Amino acid sequence: MMRHTFLAAAIVAAIAFPMLVTVNYFVHLAVLSMVFMIVAQSVNLIQGYTGYVSIAQGGFMGIGAYASALLSVDAGWSVWASIAVSPVIAGLVALVVGYPSLRVKGHYFAIVTMALNMVVFIVLVNWIPVTGGEGGYPGVPMPEPIGFGDWAIEIDSRQAMYYVVLAALLLVMAVMAAIVRSRIGRVLLAIRQNETFAEAAGIAAWKYKLFAFSAAGALAGFAGALYAHYMGFLSPTPFSVDASLNAILAVILGGSGTLSGPLVGGLLTVLLPEMLRVAEVFRLIIYGLLLVVVMIFLPHGLVPALVGRVAKWREARDTGASPARNKP
Amino acid sequence: MVDLLQQVFNGLVTGSIYTLIALGLTTIFGILGIAHFAHGSVAMFGGYLTFFLMTSVGLSLVPAMVVAMVAGAALGVVIERLAYYPVRMAPPINAFIIALGLTLVIEKANLLMFGVDQVIIPTPYTRVFDIGGVTFPELRVYVLAIAAILVAGMTWMVQRTWMGMAIRAVAQNRATAILMGVDVNRVSMFVFALSSALGVAAGVLVGALYAVAPGVSGGLVIKGFAVLILGGLGSIPGAIIGGIVLGVTESFSSAFVSSGYKDVISFLLMIAVLLVRPEGLMRRGTR
Amino acid sequence: MRKFWSTLAIAGAMAAFAGSGMAAEKTVVLGISDALSGGGAVYGVPQKRAIDLAIEEINSAGGFKVGNDTVKFDTIAYDDKADPTEATNVARKLIDRDGVKFLLGYCCSASTGAVASFIGREDVIMLVGTAGARAITAAGNRNVFRTRPPGDYTGAAAGAFIASQGVKKLGVLAVRDNTLFVQYREEMLKAFKAAGGEVVAVETFGGHDRDMTAQLTKLRGLQPDALFISGYVEQAAFSHRQAHELGIGVPRYGFSGGSPEQFLKVATNEQMEGAWDLLSIEFNAEVLGPVAQAFEQRFKARYGEPPSPNSAFAYDQVYVLRDALQAAGTTTDLKKIREAIANLPVPKEALLKYLPIDGKMFDGKGQAYIANGAFQWENGAWRFRTELPSDPRGYSEYLKTIRN
Repeated sequence: MMRHTFLAAAIVAAIAFPMLVTVNYFVHLAVLSMVFMIVAQSVNLIQGYTGYVSIAQGGFMGIGAYASALLSVDAGWSVWASIAVSPVIAGLVALVVGYPSLRVKGHYFAIVTMALNMVVFIVLVNWIPVTGGEGGYPGVPMPEPIGFGDWAIEIDSRQAMYYVVLAALLLVMAVMAAIVRSRIGRVLLAIRQNETFAEAAGIAAWKYKLFAFSAAGALAGFAGALYAHYMGFLSPTPFSVDASLNAILAVILGGSGTLSGPLVGGLLTVLLPEMLRVAEVFRLIIYGLLLVVVMIFLPHGLVPALVGRVAKWREARDTGASPARNKP
Repeated sequence: MVDLLQQVFNGLVTGSIYTLIALGLTTIFGILGIAHFAHGSVAMFGGYLTFFLMTSVGLSLVPAMVVAMVAGAALGVVIERLAYYPVRMAPPINAFIIALGLTLVIEKANLLMFGVDQVIIPTPYTRVFDIGGVTFPELRVYVLAIAAILVAGMTWMVQRTWMGMAIRAVAQNRATAILMGVDVNRVSMFVFALSSALGVAAGVLVGALYAVAPGVSGGLVIKGFAVLILGGLGSIPGAIIGGIVLGVTESFSSAFVSSGYKDVISFLLMIAVLLVRPEGLMRRGTR
Repeated sequence: MRKFWSTLAIAGAMAAFAGSGMAAEKTVVLGISDALSGGGAVYGVPQKRAIDLAIEEINSAGGFKVGNDTVKFDTIAYDDKADPTEATNVARKLIDRDGVKFLLGYCCSASTGAVASFIGREDVIMLVGTAGARAITAAGNRNVFRTRPPGDYTGAAAGAFIASQGVKKLGVLAVRDNTLFVQYREEMLKAFKAAGGEVVAVETFGGHDRDMTAQLTKLRGLQPDALFISGYVEQAAFSHRQAHELGIGVPRYGFSGGSPEQFLKVATNEQMEGAWDLLSIEFNAEVLGPVAQAFEQRFKARYGEPPSPNSAFAYDQVYVLRDALQAAGTTTDLKKIREAIANLPVPKEALLKYLPIDGKMFDGKGQAYIANGAFQWENGAWRFRTELPSDPRGYSEYLKTIRN
């Protein structure tokens, strides 16, 4: 009950936000946060729920971004169609690439995904006739107006894009919730706990892993497409290994294996640079230290730790004594 | 023909540096099961430190390099104790994330301590030897020589010394090694110290040939892992062969395909080996 | 009751006073976007330093008069790392968060091109420095002005020059994807071939590469009469160094800019000896006379090392803006300031020898021009050898007809 009111309040606040805020720049930050939250959810799916660390999500975001840009500019598709199809493209790439890669586990898998991200990045930088290389790809259009005739809503401002991205985020959350609460979600968790055990119990783990990896790729691609049409300009830099590491950081901080963790993490990683106007160098050192410290002391991330703390406090308040048992 | 030999020599030099990096990685990964991504940043730290010792303190190349290697070894032990030891019992994914976090910390700490500019380690070796049209710059010959010496030293240590035997024991079967009285803690720290020292040496060589700069470490580490995969986990001869193969492949890719895509070719090679023959080119069967 | 009337009287007096247009002290904040780290820093850091120096000079002389006000400059600077996405974020910060109206700096084409592609929609004025891609001014944005001429303006002259030196077969080693360098190279090769030359191969390297030995080995095998090397300063330096290590003895022409100090961090004097740099005559104290020499002294005193050749492109931006503000008589009416810049004669403190068209420093597309020259490395310094043909009016006509 508490959860649902909280959720409703959050959504209302999110809808009201651009109308209340006067500084354009904050709307810009909000859009970037939401895009990043989607990428964080993709990491959450493959890492938090399935237990496979993928350092390729930045690359899949890039595939989605450039695919959408190329479809809408060079191929003349409508922006809505491009945004709809790009996740499919990214997901397909993940499928093709994931099939052989998921045969290896753990560290090896992570190294392979890192190499994959680097390959994507190198192609983006060097395939100049198509992507524009490091100089970038300008002129990515905003979505066309929706509706008919006099009832058409123009999407030509930052505010309008904010709502488009918000809708997209809510869609992603619904999809994630559906996956996580279904049988597939339970199987993924079983794989994360102990893959050998799950296979011994008769699960064809590879099918579920591949699904998770492809879906994660598609989600990241979706975020990329939104990013492309919001920024209007693309260059390879936001899709490097660093971006993938940032996404992992967001999920670790916020809480992997929870639905709301990546939201918190995504928001933090976009907002922290703005709030802490210290030199970027210090900020990144703090990130790294946070990663190390969190992994040692709070391996499940901030959100679960906070939730745990709140639960304990509630229990203590209700029973009038310290809890006899710790809930994991 | 001359060009071919030239490309091979160039490839050998780069390959020897990859081998040095891979040696450190393969030992840590093979013994302790940790993918120590921060290794490249430690290598850069050593490079920067050497430059600093040479320009601000006035040491010459060799003493500066030795001091930096010792400092690198110490840093390796600190990393092992503070960051990896606490999670040795946790699922491997934790150590992995910690490795990523460490990479950030060390890489940016390097920026803080040594600035954003690239740093080129000055050497007095500018002669060029010409044998039949193939040119051998003095510096590159020394790089190859130093790498060879260090690799040989490492091999000797692993085969002939007590600590080397302990390392091999832990690599074969950690639980049994503990039962047999091997102090796994000591082995752990020693492995990190030795690997980091080798990494620093590689960093110095890179700094002398090209530059120590932000962004170099990532490429080094991933190439190091590529060599590790090519040559087989925990195998020193594998690291040597893998390094040579990778270096020469890169050289030829750069010349005959495109310098932009040379890394793609290296990575695809690595991915192919990983999927087709995961134990590496050198190993026979699974261990 | 008495208090009420006296308060009213004082308020009235103050209002009358304020309305009389009493002279005020104003600060105009300039936004600087430049590469302060990474490969572009060799161009970006000197630019920022030059801008800071110019502002210090202006402020310490008591500022300058715009209308009745005395104006001084202040800056907010961000590192755009010569990266397009970063530069876009920096521009957003400067315009949306910091409320800046004047953007200066801009050393590198990739980052600047990205910002120029949307700056037309913003209410700011953008002064571009070393970034040389043609599209930046060719696009025709009314609020963009550039002190540095585009790459292809110099490229053609360079190609003819190389041919005139007796080179029949040329091997090229160039950075792959930087628009400025690509445009220069294409014009250079066109002119070279038109003069009867043959290009044996064009090898390329990426923007972050430091190892060109494979490409140079291949070029060595093709036995050209000369090499042409172009790229950012540090990469050009690595190329020269490795070319020397490979025993390549033929003349090496090039295009990169950069001061001797910057080259010597990577290559030795012996490795650079005899190399050429064919570029527009950037800042060179020896060539440009007493104003330039005085600037070099001040820069050295302030920063401990001499200015790089491209730093003048940024230094001059500040004086252009100052003159324009004075001519327009306002610090806030951007339309008037834009017009003032468009009609401006060359400021007297400008370091470079601009070639005004009809008395105006900038042409219809906001582009300024300087002469082209050939420099050769001799014993630790770039020595001016000869001027190369330069036709600002002709090029400006050509620029009018294209959009990128």
